[in-house]
Amino acid sequence: MKKRNKILILTALLTAVLALAGVLAAQQPVFRIKVDMVVLSFTVTDGRGRYINGLKPSDFRITEDGIPQKLTTFSEGSRPPLRVLDNGATEPIATGPGEAERGGISTDALVGTNVFVLFDTSNYMYRGFVYASDAIADFIRGLDRADSVAVYTFSRNLSRAAPLSRERNEVLQGLRKAVAGDESALYNALLLALRDAAKVPGRKVIIVFSNGPDSASMVAPDDVRAVAEDEGIPIYVISTSDLNRDPISTGVFRRLSARTGGKTFFAKTWQKQVEAFEAIREDLGNSYTVTYYPQPNPNEGFRSIKVDLVSDPGKRLRVSARPGYRPRMGS
Amino acid sequence: MTVKLQMLVAVLAAAAVAGPAWGQQPAEDWQARLSQAELRGEAAAALDDLGRAIEADPTNPQLLALRARALDARRHPAARAAYERALSARGLAAAGRERILRRLAALDLIEGDRTSAGKRLSQLAPPVALAESSGARKVPTGEVVIPGPMSGFSRMAALSPDLPETDILTALSRNVVTSGYQAVSGSESLEQTEYLKLILRYVSQARELETLASPDKILKIEQCESPRTGELLRILGFRMRGGCGSEVVLETVNASRAFLTIDSGFPIAGLEQALRSNRVFEMDYKPTRVKVLYGPEYWLSAKEKFSGELIDAFLGDPALCRLYLGIVKLDPETAEQVRKTMPVARVRAFAHVFDFFGGMLRLKDGKAVVPGGQRSAAAWSELAGASPDKGVEFIEKLIMKDDGWMASYFDSLSRIEGPVQDYLTEPERIKRFYTALRGRVTSPGPARPVFRSNTDLMLLTTRLRMAGPNQPHLPGGLEVWKNLFVKHPQGRYDGKLTKAAAGWKEPDDLLEALFGLSRKAVENEPLKIFLSISDIERRRGAPIAAPTVDRLARAYRLMGSQYPLFSESPSLSDASMIRFLDAAEAISKIGDNVEKANTAGTMQALAALWQVLCRQKLIAEQDSDAVFSAIIEPFLKAREGGPLFDAGRSGVAALLKATGSPEDVNPQDRMIDLLTGSPTTEDQQTLAELRADMLRVFEAQKLVSLKVIFDLADHLESLSRGERLNAALLNRLAARVSDLSLPKASMSAQERNATSFGYWTERHLEDQRKLNFRAVIDKAAGDAGKLKNARGLLAPILRDTLVGLLYVHYAPPGAQLLYTNPLFARSHDFIGIQGAHQTWRTTEVLGSGWPSSAGGRLVGSLATLPYALAEAEQNFLIPTREQALIWGDLVPQMLVSAKLPRWWNVSGAQMHFLALHLRHGEDLLAAAVTSPELRTQVLDLLDKSVAPVRLRRIANELAEADLRAAIEDVTPSEFYQLGRYAVERKLSLPGGFGSSISALAAADPGRLNHQALSDAFGTPKPTLANTMKPQLLNLRTFPTLMGYSSRIMAESWESNNLFFAALADELRIRPSELNLRIPEWTQRTVEQIFATHLEDWPALLRSMRIIASQARAEARKPAAAQQKASLE
Repeated sequence: MKKRNKILILTALLTAVLALAGVLAAQQPVFRIKVDMVVLSFTVTDGRGRYINGLKPSDFRITEDGIPQKLTTFSEGSRPPLRVLDNGATEPIATGPGEAERGGISTDALVGTNVFVLFDTSNYMYRGFVYASDAIADFIRGLDRADSVAVYTFSRNLSRAAPLSRERNEVLQGLRKAVAGDESALYNALLLALRDAAKVPGRKVIIVFSNGPDSASMVAPDDVRAVAEDEGIPIYVISTSDLNRDPISTGVFRRLSARTGGKTFFAKTWQKQVEAFEAIREDLGNSYTVTYYPQPNPNEGFRSIKVDLVSDPGKRLRVSARPGYRPRMGS
Repeated sequence: MTVKLQMLVAVLAAAAVAGPAWGQQPAEDWQARLSQAELRGEAAAALDDLGRAIEADPTNPQLLALRARALDARRHPAARAAYERALSARGLAAAGRERILRRLAALDLIEGDRTSAGKRLSQLAPPVALAESSGARKVPTGEVVIPGPMSGFSRMAALSPDLPETDILTALSRNVVTSGYQAVSGSESLEQTEYLKLILRYVSQARELETLASPDKILKIEQCESPRTGELLRILGFRMRGGCGSEVVLETVNASRAFLTIDSGFPIAGLEQALRSNRVFEMDYKPTRVKVLYGPEYWLSAKEKFSGELIDAFLGDPALCRLYLGIVKLDPETAEQVRKTMPVARVRAFAHVFDFFGGMLRLKDGKAVVPGGQRSAAAWSELAGASPDKGVEFIEKLIMKDDGWMASYFDSLSRIEGPVQDYLTEPERIKRFYTALRGRVTSPGPARPVFRSNTDLMLLTTRLRMAGPNQPHLPGGLEVWKNLFVKHPQGRYDGKLTKAAAGWKEPDDLLEALFGLSRKAVENEPLKIFLSISDIERRRGAPIAAPTVDRLARAYRLMGSQYPLFSESPSLSDASMIRFLDAAEAISKIGDNVEKANTAGTMQALAALWQVLCRQKLIAEQDSDAVFSAIIEPFLKAREGGPLFDAGRSGVAALLKATGSPEDVNPQDRMIDLLTGSPTTEDQQTLAELRADMLRVFEAQKLVSLKVIFDLADHLESLSRGERLNAALLNRLAARVSDLSLPKASMSAQERNATSFGYWTERHLEDQRKLNFRAVIDKAAGDAGKLKNARGLLAPILRDTLVGLLYVHYAPPGAQLLYTNPLFARSHDFIGIQGAHQTWRTTEVLGSGWPSSAGGRLVGSLATLPYALAEAEQNFLIPTREQALIWGDLVPQMLVSAKLPRWWNVSGAQMHFLALHLRHGEDLLAAAVTSPELRTQVLDLLDKSVAPVRLRRIANELAEADLRAAIEDVTPSEFYQLGRYAVERKLSLPGGFGSSISALAAADPGRLNHQALSDAFGTPKPTLANTMKPQLLNLRTFPTLMGYSSRIMAESWESNNLFFAALADELRIRPSELNLRIPEWTQRTVEQIFATHLEDWPALLRSMRIIASQARAEARKPAAAQQKASLE
């Protein structure tokens, strides 16, 4: 039997994708997913870079390798996701209390964004360590209440300084107890953060706060990028290095973020770092998230995703989304 | 099943049929039945039966006692209640009552309940009084005051928060010595490192905060708007942004102060929250008082003109720290004598020697204990210049002699025992070999570098084999070694030795030369050859012939890393070893590096697969030599293309045939099954889980299955005979290799230049990616010869699959790289760096740290693949403790020890037999609390493995009835040895676990013995013993050594598997499940370790015990829930 036809109860192992399909009747709501569900987050901006809000599912046409896709859910910013009906209309998804205990997940878990902050505490960040900590603390304080946030730190190894939580004080305590380390294994840490994020239901992003050099990773950045693409997790990078100081890291950061639907910011000063975080926060609050089951497609390699705005025939608006993904084996 | 066991089963079965119902059986029969059930792996059912028998006869004291003991043997939580019940049963014999009371008292002491233990012992006849914990035996200590809480200082000084109070200053001293100072370029002076500067700045900040605290040392901020708040924030390096109230935010104003605040873990977030919510902020800021040996005066007397605090003296003086380390390492009584007798300035001058080589020094009745005992005393006296009878004077002379060389010699000989020690400590030899070791120039001594530089000396004395009394074993005989020195293959080893070798007449002559070489860090190849070949021969039935030894010796420089392969099977013939060397040397001569890599990779992979299958007993011992020979033979001639492919394929066929595979078997499925473990196991669930894990790695690596490769080769053959093209088959291969694109396409030119897989690896990958079989077939245009030869194009793919299968087999727990980098196995670089000749050398990790490479990869041969894989993957483990780092050299060895052995052939009885040894050791320790005579015997046995300083501590703990502390001071492998030696010496307790061990051993002597346990629960020791074959060597845990860091220490650490297997027995986990549990528990142990320095094995022990507690809680949760439900 192909996995595509296998309906599985959402478990930690399968939560690489947002779990909203297969919603049963409202009286007995249990969320179930197919393992190949795709989660896609994107922003829409005008020519001046201003976010365009209030668009509806029917405003979008999403294709994979040119094949039109049928949306399952739709959400904007931190609002709860809506179920997309066959006629393009939407309806709320409701769950009863204790859903998670019964093997499903509550809608609450799907509201907001799960933000994983990956904080470089290696020797390379020694001088900027405390300012970075301040900037991250400000970012955490300013997140939407619906968002959950985790702080991971890394030098040679990863440390889960503050696990994913909506309790800001707990997260800040974890952040403020970060210990300065030695070597930097940025891409190892990013991979591990992605693996953790992939287990969480709902929308998630990773924000890397680093100045770039990596002295200890065993995994190559492009292998990590491929994992992020496949899991549908945007990577935002705030580099505390100058734009032109380390062209190779610059190139890698840009590729990582662009290919996953995130952005890269070069912010050497504390003020720039605060601005970068503000921009990310805006991105999160103004993005759209849709889910869908891919239509039959013989391509088992990289599938390109395209988001067109039906309501913008003149192409005046710009959609920023990840360019595609590789389907899971067996899907 | 052995004949004896069969007889026992038959007798018991007959008894079962003919005898009374079980409920009416006497306790002796139950004892036999339980013992028998252990042998059959049915202990749980037998215990249930016993429970039913007790229900039928609920006041039978013997049955109750038997059940309690059976539960106790597996540390069952109900054991205590069961003992209590037995104790209250009427008719319990006096001896039985005494046993139970003593056991309960021991359990009380383990839990730290002295009162209850004392009450129980007072009920004995005659009553036994528990020794008071007077502390009288403890070494005098004073206090050193560290400003601020310990948690902050620990973080700054990188000390484990779990360190016992007595060890804190020792650990700090170690860190100051190793990390606190660095040489100034172009000068002999030292300067402080950033690590030490930060500690000093932290201490200063902590003192400022102390002045802000109240008289009772509480930091208290009652309101946001107060000068006190401002002062606190100033010291911390922060300021408020926004006015007091809910908007207030703390932000950095002084970066260096704020760094200390955060790095030391000051609760700045809590302070911020208190200010925001206008709550009182309180923090206990009492200074930390840490124990210092002998009190401050002694240490300050070692310094001139110092008026600060003692902690400042330590932080500011690495020599003082070294002095502390040296004294702490000494046995306390010895240290006390040294302190009283030797001027502190002199001790300080030789502190480095005390630190590295003082651990085995010991005074007994005022005399120095020397290796070789009384027989060797005169020789030591002559060497040191003072008689051992003169106690400290001898120690002083020994330490001062030859910049530490004599102390290192003494230390090495003290660590061994038995025939080797007898041989080496023969008076004349002691002097002769020391003279060789010492040489003419003694500086720098072995204690001068950061690590001990007497590595080879320790390996030589530890690994020397004896052929008979006073007769060392020389592989191949003396002539081989004479020739090696005289007709050296790669230039002269040592001019003097070359000249002397011509006149060698006896083994001692060679040994003298080896001792002379053992002081060298380089140019000591003959010593390494000697140790390596000795180890190959160690477990063989027949010795290696002299010509073979000669060949092995001469090929060592190029091929030595491959020799552990030869020790995998004791029946591997000389001819097979020679054949391997011939083939390897032929491959080395191949000029084309692509061809060479494919040929070497394929042959090495086949040999390594043979090694795995022999180890897992899937290739019968009697067949192993023939199979090895069959694998290697084709490579004597094979070159790139069709012949190489055929050689690889025939090797796979030989392996499959030797493992009893049907001829038409799917080679891929079968090979995966074989590598997984035992296809015949009853535990299909474990097998399936392991198999699924292996398939996941195989898939992630995008390897091509053996079946596809061989089918395609067969298809080419068919095409050459004119059959039709099978497009589907071609597509299966194409689909697999088309994804093998290098990521370079998406990179900038600059990135492409910086990113490198290595030239030959890139060619290897590109060749496969570009491979288009359809085009090849079209081009052949039906030419039978060309079509047939096209199978040669599959040779690199076959190489990758065979190499990849080994990566799959050895995938360490917690691996990420293997699942993320699809080119990892394919990138294995058999050529390596130009000029390094790495094709046959050990496997190494290369390319970590971007952008120097396109991710890490492995280079060299497959000889140490398991270790290299673990090394590559270790940093993906996630420490659960803040600041804890993965322990570089120790962790890979731990992962290898958990992954390389498989436990399919281990029986439940063996696991229980092992666990009983550990329990017996603990039981003896417990009994030693109340019996001074037994204590002496137990300590004598522990003396074989425990260093004098720790032995003395254990002795004191036992004398003061602090059983819990004593148990924590003994490692699982030491408990095993204690149990084993006690059984050998018939040191047993009435009704104790020793009798169960003897009973089981008698019932199945073939499988329940030390050798069987060594094979089952030992660990691979590629560095220490030149073999991957798991074994127990029962050595004292090695220290860190020059050139190996913690690696040899890790190989000598044998506790993990013993401990976890005993835990599994306790939790009634099947032996086959160890294949999953031990890797999992080991991973969790690694993630839990918080070590302070490279020899901090107690941190490892603490971590293991935490994981065991968690495993117990997890395993017993369902039972507890069930019990609760039934009560409800």
